[in-house]
Amino acid sequence: MKTKISRTLGTVAIATLLALSANAQDAVEIAKKAHLNYYYAANDGLAEVSMKIVDSKGNERNRRFSMLRMDEADGGDQKYYTYFYEPSDVQRMTFMVHKSAAGNDKRWIYVPAVDLIKPIAADDKNSSFVGSDFTYEDVSGRLWTEDNHTLTGETRLNDRDVFILESKPIKPYKGFSRRVSYIDKELYLPLKEEYYDAKDKLERVLTAEKIETIDNIPTVTERKMQNMQKNRYTVVSFNSIKYNLGVKADLFTERYLKTPPREYIK
Amino acid sequence: MYARKNILTAALLFLISISTVKVVSAQGIPINGFVQGLWGGRLQEKNPTSSDYTASEVRLQLRMEHNADIAEVFARADFFNDEIVAGGNDWELREAFAKFTLLGKIDFKVGRQILTWGTGDLIFINDVFAKDYESFFAGREDQYLKAPQTALRSEYYSPLGELALVWTPRFAPNRTPATGRFSYYSPMSGDFAAEPFAVPLPAESIRNSELAGRFQKTVGGMALALYGYKGFFKNPVGFDFVSMMPFYPRLNIYGASARGQAGGGVFWLEGGYFHSYDDQCGEKPGIPNSNIQGLVGFEKQIASDITANIQYQAEKMLQYERYERNLVGNDKEDEFRSLVTSRISGRFRMETIILSSFIFWSPSDEDLYYRFSADYKLTDNMTVTVGGNIFDGNKRFTDFGMFQLNDNLYARATYGF
Repeated sequence: MKTKISRTLGTVAIATLLALSANAQDAVEIAKKAHLNYYYAANDGLAEVSMKIVDSKGNERNRRFSMLRMDEADGGDQKYYTYFYEPSDVQRMTFMVHKSAAGNDKRWIYVPAVDLIKPIAADDKNSSFVGSDFTYEDVSGRLWTEDNHTLTGETRLNDRDVFILESKPIKPYKGFSRRVSYIDKELYLPLKEEYYDAKDKLERVLTAEKIETIDNIPTVTERKMQNMQKNRYTVVSFNSIKYNLGVKADLFTERYLKTPPREYIK
Repeated sequence: MYARKNILTAALLFLISISTVKVVSAQGIPINGFVQGLWGGRLQEKNPTSSDYTASEVRLQLRMEHNADIAEVFARADFFNDEIVAGGNDWELREAFAKFTLLGKIDFKVGRQILTWGTGDLIFINDVFAKDYESFFAGREDQYLKAPQTALRSEYYSPLGELALVWTPRFAPNRTPATGRFSYYSPMSGDFAAEPFAVPLPAESIRNSELAGRFQKTVGGMALALYGYKGFFKNPVGFDFVSMMPFYPRLNIYGASARGQAGGGVFWLEGGYFHSYDDQCGEKPGIPNSNIQGLVGFEKQIASDITANIQYQAEKMLQYERYERNLVGNDKEDEFRSLVTSRISGRFRMETIILSSFIFWSPSDEDLYYRFSADYKLTDNMTVTVGGNIFDGNKRFTDFGMFQLNDNLYARATYGF
């Protein structure tokens, strides 16, 4: 009798452990798949981006730029090239990021009015990207390996079935203490992400406003980031998206920082 | 009085710019630019300059570009009304160039252009391109520190590295602050003066053209470069005791630099040997000796949206004993000169407020220059800036000490379109 109970308990314990680890395994898999779909679509990509920043008084600021991306490997290093059209004071400016999955990213800016190429000293990924509610990390993504993930449930959102995933940074992190993602079960794209601050108060909410299929790749073409505490938001829309252009790595060098590649950047 | 006239000019320029935009857009080439007003006043009364203002100007910049298959064409011109120095309307072609590529490997940029290379933050060793210190001290935007020059730039890209050559047919000197706007110490009179002085350029000839070269290669994330220059001192530092006139002595520079990311920031190193070609033995009193210069700098983000850097520059005059022996007058320079600079800048309220503080301090010359500014972006188009320039020095003839009466505060308003 005693042995039977302990055997049963043992089985339950093992099953629970297995279930937990299966859950953890699933959670990591979901986080990874969503990350790759969201930030590593195709091998490269080009988009014209419009950004609308609205502050708490309703004042609006707008940015327009082209963004070119190339992946070295899925989930690995990436290169980004940005060319600004608007506003007037940053027109013709270019910006380049060599994103490193293992170490610190490298960033450069080119200011055409003075023909100056300047590497940017920035180890802070939480700085605002061009004055918007998006941070540099929101633009290029935070690797799924930097957080612990737990599958906390499933629900429906915008008439879609979603996983609810909770992610907590493995190392203490300034960007958020906890993130809750609602990931589309079919597309494996986040439809919503809630970022909680150090006091576990909801700080920012990212929502996928529009999803389109481009070259057979489901793509979030409009994203909204709301800052709940500051009552402001930024909407970004991606237009004229092109994938798999065969972009070469040498395009992400100082030469093209000074002379934009006109086959991609109009 | 100044201000009222300038506001009228601003309104007029703005109307012209809007009508121009419409006309040219009809032909498919958009025009962009800005209208800007700048007003500055002195903080010191005993200045020998004629005006209490350091700036009262309105400026319209128009930009246009066209990208054809074979070349990219870009032009940028400033139309301005400057009440202090020019006292009227004038214009300047800031840039007008064509850019094209040959064989996919050599990039050419031909025409009026602004050029920059090297690693220092507002201090320059191998950057031999023309600078405009009058604009820099008067509170114009940072972009005006660089003066345009008409040149041919070619850049050859190979797996070994990148070779850039810049040929400037007509020597382009620095623009000094001695235009009547600022006072300066004059060794001739032994006192502060404000008379504008224009120094004749070397005669126009192939031999007097400028040639600057750079070979750059990135090794393990570090940009390494070698530089060479054949031309003239960019400031009129020579003095001819026969004609009693300043002039531009010949200069060759050989230098190197390295820049990379480390320690969560960016560091840079640069050095150069300044070969005073017209006085190779260091014995001519009217011509600077050869010298060697080096600088080291580091920049890091110290808090969210706040960046700070520090630079140290050192300069050693070669053949100092000969310099001492042949010195005319009492303004004796030191054999060693050192300079420490630090910039702290921050972007706040979603980058609508930008604060910047930049100090230059020379422990050897015992002088300093401090510049600061605050930008407030009211909208994407409208920016208001206030700032100042402060000079101090124990000696009258040092780089910053000679401008010590020119402390000023300024305000600037810019509407971009």
